[in-house]
Amino acid sequence: MSRNTLRPLTVKMITSLLRVHRKLSSLNPAVGAVCGVRWSSGLNRPPLLSAAPARALMDEQIIIKGRFLPPHCPVTVCAQLHSDDGDLWQSFAHYNTNADGTVNLASDHSVGGSYLGCEPMGLFWGLEPAPGSREGLRLRKKNVETPYVVHMSLLEGHVSQREEQSVELAVATTERWYMAPGVKRKDIRQNGVVGTLFLPPGPGPFPAMLDMWGMGGGLMEYRSALLASRGYAAFSLAYFGHKDLPGPQTTINVGDAYFKSAFQFLQDHHQICANRVGIIGLSFGVYLTLRMAAHIGVKASCLICINGPVGSVLDLVDADGRCTAFEESSQKHWSFDERGYVSFRDISSPGNFNPENKLKLENISCPLMWVVGEDDMSASSIENADVMEETLKASGKAHLFTRLSYPGAGHLIEPPYSPNARLSLWSIKPVKFTIWGGYPAPHAAAQEDAWRKILDFLDTNLRGFGQS
Amino acid sequence: MLEPAGSNQSAQMRCVRMDKKKHCVKLSVQPSRALMDEKFIVLVQNAPPGFQMTIHSLHHSEDGHSWEAFGHYTADATGTVNVSQDHSVGGTYSGVEPMGLLWSLRPVPGSKPHLRFRKMNVQTPMEVTISVYQGHQTVFVDQVQLASVLVERWYMAPGVRRIPVTESNLTATLFLPPGPGPFPGVLDLWGGGGQLVEYRSALLASHGFASLALDYLTPKITLKTGKMVENDYFETAYKFLQQHPQVSGSRIAMMGLSFGTTMTLKMAVYSEVMKLSCAVCISGSHIQPVNATVEEIFIMFDTKSEKTRISEENEVIWHDVVLPVPTDPGMKADVGRLQCPLLLIVGEDDQNWAAPESAQDIKEMMEQAGNSHLLTLLSYANTGHLIEPPYTPHTRASRFKPVGSNELLVVLWGGETVAHSRAQEDAWRKTLAFLRENLYSRKNSAVTFTSHL
Repeated sequence: MSRNTLRPLTVKMITSLLRVHRKLSSLNPAVGAVCGVRWSSGLNRPPLLSAAPARALMDEQIIIKGRFLPPHCPVTVCAQLHSDDGDLWQSFAHYNTNADGTVNLASDHSVGGSYLGCEPMGLFWGLEPAPGSREGLRLRKKNVETPYVVHMSLLEGHVSQREEQSVELAVATTERWYMAPGVKRKDIRQNGVVGTLFLPPGPGPFPAMLDMWGMGGGLMEYRSALLASRGYAAFSLAYFGHKDLPGPQTTINVGDAYFKSAFQFLQDHHQICANRVGIIGLSFGVYLTLRMAAHIGVKASCLICINGPVGSVLDLVDADGRCTAFEESSQKHWSFDERGYVSFRDISSPGNFNPENKLKLENISCPLMWVVGEDDMSASSIENADVMEETLKASGKAHLFTRLSYPGAGHLIEPPYSPNARLSLWSIKPVKFTIWGGYPAPHAAAQEDAWRKILDFLDTNLRGFGQS
Repeated sequence: MLEPAGSNQSAQMRCVRMDKKKHCVKLSVQPSRALMDEKFIVLVQNAPPGFQMTIHSLHHSEDGHSWEAFGHYTADATGTVNVSQDHSVGGTYSGVEPMGLLWSLRPVPGSKPHLRFRKMNVQTPMEVTISVYQGHQTVFVDQVQLASVLVERWYMAPGVRRIPVTESNLTATLFLPPGPGPFPGVLDLWGGGGQLVEYRSALLASHGFASLALDYLTPKITLKTGKMVENDYFETAYKFLQQHPQVSGSRIAMMGLSFGTTMTLKMAVYSEVMKLSCAVCISGSHIQPVNATVEEIFIMFDTKSEKTRISEENEVIWHDVVLPVPTDPGMKADVGRLQCPLLLIVGEDDQNWAAPESAQDIKEMMEQAGNSHLLTLLSYANTGHLIEPPYTPHTRASRFKPVGSNELLVVLWGGETVAHSRAQEDAWRKTLAFLRENLYSRKNSAVTFTSHL
């Protein structure tokens, strides 16, 4: 990138240059009219890009602004970050600056790039793996104690990411955190229970949430970290595919007693209010949530179920709820698309459930929020929501049920402002990709709306008082 | 009336019962991570209407001391207190003071006297615990909070780089804003206590300036050789900035506080090497023997001078040491020769340096010489010597060991806390504006066109 430094020009010379330039720009549509000027004659400051607050939580909206730019000129805002695994993710959007030489992502419209329209957080949920990346990536933070460091830049013209000729006008760095200051993270290996506990700052005691993910296994902490940052003690529970759990990592080797212990662990904790513990589950975590509330009989204050089944196809190995391997039990319900990608949706089709696993859903007696992504390709979300709703209605408990249903949203409805993975790598041996579903903009909107409603629901049911 | 929320449980949520309703007070601070000079909003919600509460801040400093501040509030009809909008009716500050919980911090009861807050490690944030207590409290040792959050205050914005500099015998730290640059540069000097003090430079870099914090009284070369630096040390620092690939060589400013002002004016007026775009001089003076070495000037500020006064509380007042303002031109930097804009910041209650008197004389000299259009003078009533970036505790007197002395004295800096804190906020904002105006000025840079043309 070269910069030509010219001596100051008179207005006349600029005008004639513009005429030439307009002719040139009709050949090169990427360049705007007078917009080649970096520090225009009306300004005494170089362009500035700001993101405020510069250090924010992952679920916080921030305001991204460009200032001291020439008016009515094309600019591109870019973002990039490195995942914990070292993969580069990036996004960009095309704007035209306002008459006052500003661009404000909270109010202005993108006319091209990773997203369109007015999307204040589009640079974050619109992130994609950089060209040349490994296939089937999904952005998930493993280390929640460090932030994502996002490098943003403001480029001249409407360009795509890092074109060689693009002129960088300004840069900014912003940090996105899963843990608010003062949130404490504790590894829990107690009474056989494997998980990570997050405690909010302050004296407590706090209401709490037990947090479970799906058959991807392992121990995902980021949702719990955020819940703690919002004032709830939160416990990410491992139940499958974790080295500290008993047995082979390809089967679920824990049963009802395990989940009961996990819930009891929270109730017994001196910084947690025993009568204010709820459960949140996604995917297979929903089945576990319902099993705990309806079958094992833990006294949960509220339940949040995201895109999951009310039953299970997995064969129960023993009465304690231990299951056979996921792949063995479920393979007959897998479907493949023309690319060979697998959809797990039919596994959770209510007609396919193992009747031995049927839960007495009518036993549920606490408020229940059910989140559905209508483009869920990994679970039969709508059908299961219907079963749940009908069951509660039939037992006179419709007032307990709240459904949030999002067109265009996929399976992985997670805390907001992180990119959706429409599909991702499921298994390395043999290499398999699975389809989750969801389209970028509606999925992002679903995440934002659902999270806000989830937090309100928790505020009402874990902090508020149902009866005086 | 603090009561448990449920019954027969071991751990109850800490709530307040009033009028047959239970209220669980919610406390939030936005943003929870911010720069040291950024405002925050402290919000209490869900309290009973009319509820009396104390909002309290607590900080454990690097040197092991505890600082606290607090305000007394009453919740409105919606059960809310917003520190940015509501009145504190008592505590360490009163009235509507959005940042009172920071600038009115003071050592907790029982602390050693004469402490000064200074963060020397700028790579970690200042952590402040903000809590809500029931009632209007003044003692917090055995109290239990209703709610509590932790707030981080940073000197370095994300992406700012900290680079220790040791080349050419310099003892310095360079702070660079994120990005390729080039950035305008600032040479940043503190005063007679010496050391390498980084926090102002770190903040300047967070605002887009490449800033070099320079230790010029206790650099390694002086500790090794026993000899104080000479003019060329500052010129070397200037050249380091000028030649740095990420610094705009033609846009460099110099900033000094206290003795740092003496040096800044010396260089700004007399150096043939340094071509400064502007200078900022805080709490200092132009009084110095012309053509003297740094050491000669330093010695001149004889801390045992008979003009030293002692206050009733045994605090050392060095205000009179340079007075009266000399009439001999050989004893003052010839500010009439300045060719760059000068921002002078003085506190009218400065007990350590005759800064206001010097400022007056500087103004007269520049008026006589015809370059007073370059001068901006900010003079703050009831403000002391240590005019620093805002929202940190004001220190009226503290223990101080000037370079070259073995005595740890208690030095009176001056200033009344409320006025001084307001002055810091105003002066910092104006300093940044002054730097931007003079370091981004059009006459110092060409209009550039891109290669698209």
